[in-house]
Amino acid sequence: MNRVLSIDLKCTRRTFMGIAAAAVGLTAAFERLFSNGFVFAQTNTSGLPLPDEPVDATIKRLFGNRTISLGEGRIKLELPLIAEDGGNVGITVETNLPTSGPTHVSTVYLISDKNRLPMLAKFSFTPESGKAFIATSVRLATTTDVRAIVEMNDGTLYGVSRHVRVTISGCDLPPAG
Amino acid sequence: MAEIGRVSVRLPSSIKQGDVIRVRTLVIHPMELVQRDKQSKIIAKNYHFIHTMTVSFNGKEIMRSEMTQAISQNPSFTFPLKVDRAGKLTVTFSDTAGKSYEGQAEVKFS
Repeated sequence: MNRVLSIDLKCTRRTFMGIAAAAVGLTAAFERLFSNGFVFAQTNTSGLPLPDEPVDATIKRLFGNRTISLGEGRIKLELPLIAEDGGNVGITVETNLPTSGPTHVSTVYLISDKNRLPMLAKFSFTPESGKAFIATSVRLATTTDVRAIVEMNDGTLYGVSRHVRVTISGCDLPPAG
Repeated sequence: MAEIGRVSVRLPSSIKQGDVIRVRTLVIHPMELVQRDKQSKIIAKNYHFIHTMTVSFNGKEIMRSEMTQAISQNPSFTFPLKVDRAGKLTVTFSDTAGKSYEGQAEVKFS
């Protein structure tokens, strides 16, 4: 009698676990569906995490198949050669491209090749800015190339990249739980 | 972190008309990182980070920036501003908790 009961219990537990696993799977599928929608929405303002993305996919998503011309001499990207703390890496982008006139800088993108989400930030400029310049601090996951891509209002793209050695990753948190 | 959202805006000490000045701004914010479990799967929840910074001068938006969690904690930004006339500079940060934080500075010629 006791034995039968225990088998019965095990059975129900198993079925329960099965249902639970299915539910988790379904939730994950929904999540993927939703977050894929968010990928095309440039930035995620909801605070929900986005799926990981390789850098080629990011560049294709942001710029399509447009060619990125070399921006050496036009764009100055300053980063430390070795960043001891990947969680706080100072980055400076300065361009001598015009911000007013017929062709002017519209947006500056910061892209890190090996972050799980390569697009770090984008900054849009207007003629009132006077000059396209931005300095901020970013998180880098590991030793990587960092690119700064400048988009002009006519769609021309200029890009430069720098290599940074990162000693301590800025993105890894100890696993929760 | 009692002072989340404190924004400070710094201007150069002397400003001349027509200059392109560099404005420094800093906001106190945790910029929460994505957490992962042991299988390095993302833990789905609402993360608390700043997603937009807008700069307006005399009520006109002159710069907008969209950012991700890859911007470090207590982020600081330096951006240019062309001053043809005096006025009020407003920097607004919005985060995923639905709050927005504002910092202001008066641009005067000396």
